[in-house]
Amino acid sequence: MSFGVSSVTLLHILDYQLKNQTAKTGRTGFQLLVVHIDTSAVEQTAPNPSLISNLQARFPDHSYAVLPVKDVFEETTSDAKPQTSGQPEEQAEPHATSTSSHLSTLLASLPSATALADTITTLRTRLLTAYAAAHACEAILWGDSTTRLAERTLSETAKGRGFSLPWSVADGPTPGGIMFNYPLRDLLKKELLSHAEFVRPPLTEVMFEESKTGVVSTSSKTTTIDDLMRAYFESVEENYPSIVANVVRTATKLEPAGFEQSDARCQLCGMPVPEGRFGIHGWGGDQHDAQGLEAGVQKEGLCYGCTRSVPRGVGLPP
Amino acid sequence: MAPSICAVCQTNRALILRPKNHQKLCKPCFISVFEAEIHHTITTNSLFHRGERIAVGASGGKDSTVLASVLKTLNERYDYGVELILLSIDEGIKGYRDDSLETVKRNAKQYGMPLTILGYDELYGWTMDQVVEQVGKKGNCTYCGVFRRQALDRGAAKLGVRHVVTGHNADDVAETVLMNLLRGDLPRLSRTTSIVTSTPSIVPSSPETTSHTNIKRSKPLKYAYEKEIVLYAHHKNLDYFSTECLYSPEAFRGSARALIKNLERVRPSAILDVVRSGEDMAKLVPGGNDNCGNGCGGQATLVEEEEGGCGSSNGRTTGGEMASMEQQLVQSEAAAEGGLEVEITTAASKSPNPPDSDVIPLVTGKKGKKLKGPPHGTRKQPARQTMGQCARCGYLSSQDICKACVLLEGLNKNRPKNSIEVTYDIPEEASLNGNTVVNGVQQLSLGPD
Repeated sequence: MSFGVSSVTLLHILDYQLKNQTAKTGRTGFQLLVVHIDTSAVEQTAPNPSLISNLQARFPDHSYAVLPVKDVFEETTSDAKPQTSGQPEEQAEPHATSTSSHLSTLLASLPSATALADTITTLRTRLLTAYAAAHACEAILWGDSTTRLAERTLSETAKGRGFSLPWSVADGPTPGGIMFNYPLRDLLKKELLSHAEFVRPPLTEVMFEESKTGVVSTSSKTTTIDDLMRAYFESVEENYPSIVANVVRTATKLEPAGFEQSDARCQLCGMPVPEGRFGIHGWGGDQHDAQGLEAGVQKEGLCYGCTRSVPRGVGLPP
Repeated sequence: MAPSICAVCQTNRALILRPKNHQKLCKPCFISVFEAEIHHTITTNSLFHRGERIAVGASGGKDSTVLASVLKTLNERYDYGVELILLSIDEGIKGYRDDSLETVKRNAKQYGMPLTILGYDELYGWTMDQVVEQVGKKGNCTYCGVFRRQALDRGAAKLGVRHVVTGHNADDVAETVLMNLLRGDLPRLSRTTSIVTSTPSIVPSSPETTSHTNIKRSKPLKYAYEKEIVLYAHHKNLDYFSTECLYSPEAFRGSARALIKNLERVRPSAILDVVRSGEDMAKLVPGGNDNCGNGCGGQATLVEEEEGGCGSSNGRTTGGEMASMEQQLVQSEAAAEGGLEVEITTAASKSPNPPDSDVIPLVTGKKGKKLKGPPHGTRKQPARQTMGQCARCGYLSSQDICKACVLLEGLNKNRPKNSIEVTYDIPEEASLNGNTVVNGVQQLSLGPD
């Protein structure tokens, strides 16, 4: 739950469905846990987590939770895997007191706005996956619209995360061990916006008003790849909605890479890294060994995409 | 502010901010780093072997000029032992090709490489100007692209060369990756990301004979940034010609290009990252190159004739390319409904229930996918191409008669004809009725050309 139009609409629809199930059969097929990951401590544009109480008032039949994103540093309490942590000094520290400082150290070390946005997204997904697993959820339902998924397809591509695309845009099991579903995948954002206004009372009342993106500033300091893609698809959606849908359909056709539970995982995003090809070295486009630097020495355990965002030697979540 | 010192040699003043990673370099260091990277690309991918004769596809533009220059330098410096020749294709576009061919001729002298210029008129009996006269400005890029694709191969065969290198750079590859995502063309996405492509003949011909169906293509500049190529050309005072083709702004490529430039501004590594993503995604394309059954080993990827203009495809109208794609998609969506409904009822153990039923709607596991709603529910396999040879010219083709010959026939009959093919990438599951409807619509919309 991001309080955006998509996730609020999803909740609205599921709530309606549950009410119908109860009315017809007296029982329901599923339960909802509505979770908001609170990033307001680290993102200026993040919604105020107190919005959740409005939602709770409107859709009272579900459980609600707000998790601060810093919790990602304490997610593995019971089955912490020391061998994958790779940050020995961290294990000695008491977790609870230092999670927010861990987080701010990590985020402060990131070199760009793109890296920050990318890392926060990764942490959010991780935290949500961990929460869902801890609460024995069958699946995570994401509110992403077609437009959003198309944006993600291209921005993940642009961030060098093409290898993990099938897990971030297609329905199905993910390496995190939980199903991801995107029930709104066939609806455009503008359709959702119209719908949110037609509903009585309008969903806009409980939504977080996104600041108008409008023209993306050309100042490269604050613009992120995600911003660029959002602006791009906003304009494409205007005239060519089917092309937006086509991007998503195309990305969905990609087959998830096969992986074993024992395969090496990226320490940040948790995606399997085939053949242990960590980091940005050791592929055809890597030119560093051409310049006399040793290739393949980077043993940080980050995938290509995460390596682009996170500099070396930063304390990662366990 | 104190002048920055070159990050590599630590002595000279840095004059160049490297576009790829914003490293500050002096001029000699930039040139040596750039060359070292191309050398690295060539050696790690084993692009060349000793004694090979290699044709550089030369257009007179910056990419092919830099490619020729760098290859000459590297061949001498590292003793690749390859013989380099220049091969130019003259499409016959007055005001565009005339000048750039002059540049190529000067290059040939400067680098001491033999040059061959082959004209579309020699190869096909038509110059592009004549084609445009015949078919109009719309859709002529199809002709140009189809002809050019074969022209380099035919030219190479004529010269007895089995390897052609082209000046495609990282920006081009990244652009193509995004473009094919936008267009939904996964097979081509996987093809264009590989550094070596080949058009192997169906029957392995004896090594002595060189037919134009087994020419190897490679892109040594695949990881080189366009901006660095320009810088290199500038600092080496290379003689190149820069102009865009008069006939073709392509909507998809233009759109992807603008996006790539913006991405590069936000994060310089983005171009390389897109290339990397493209390579990774190529491995995930269903029925992709990994299990290519007909002996295209190693990194070499099978290439069929490309359809489009200027290294891309889609011979639809130039300006309205995106619009016509949009229209086509709307049509196929409508047409696909029927076929997909059949699939749902056969695949579903329980019929997809309206929201007011008591069936648990959250299905997990494989079946869940089958139950999803129409447009995304099926994972359509991209149509497998079965390769054969063109009955007329012998070029590798999935059709009986290759695209160039089809186009030529149309031209020669003095009747404009466009190249929308039914069989090329129609998904297998789509119902036959749907296809004919879609195709009919395309032809209608193209009729007035």
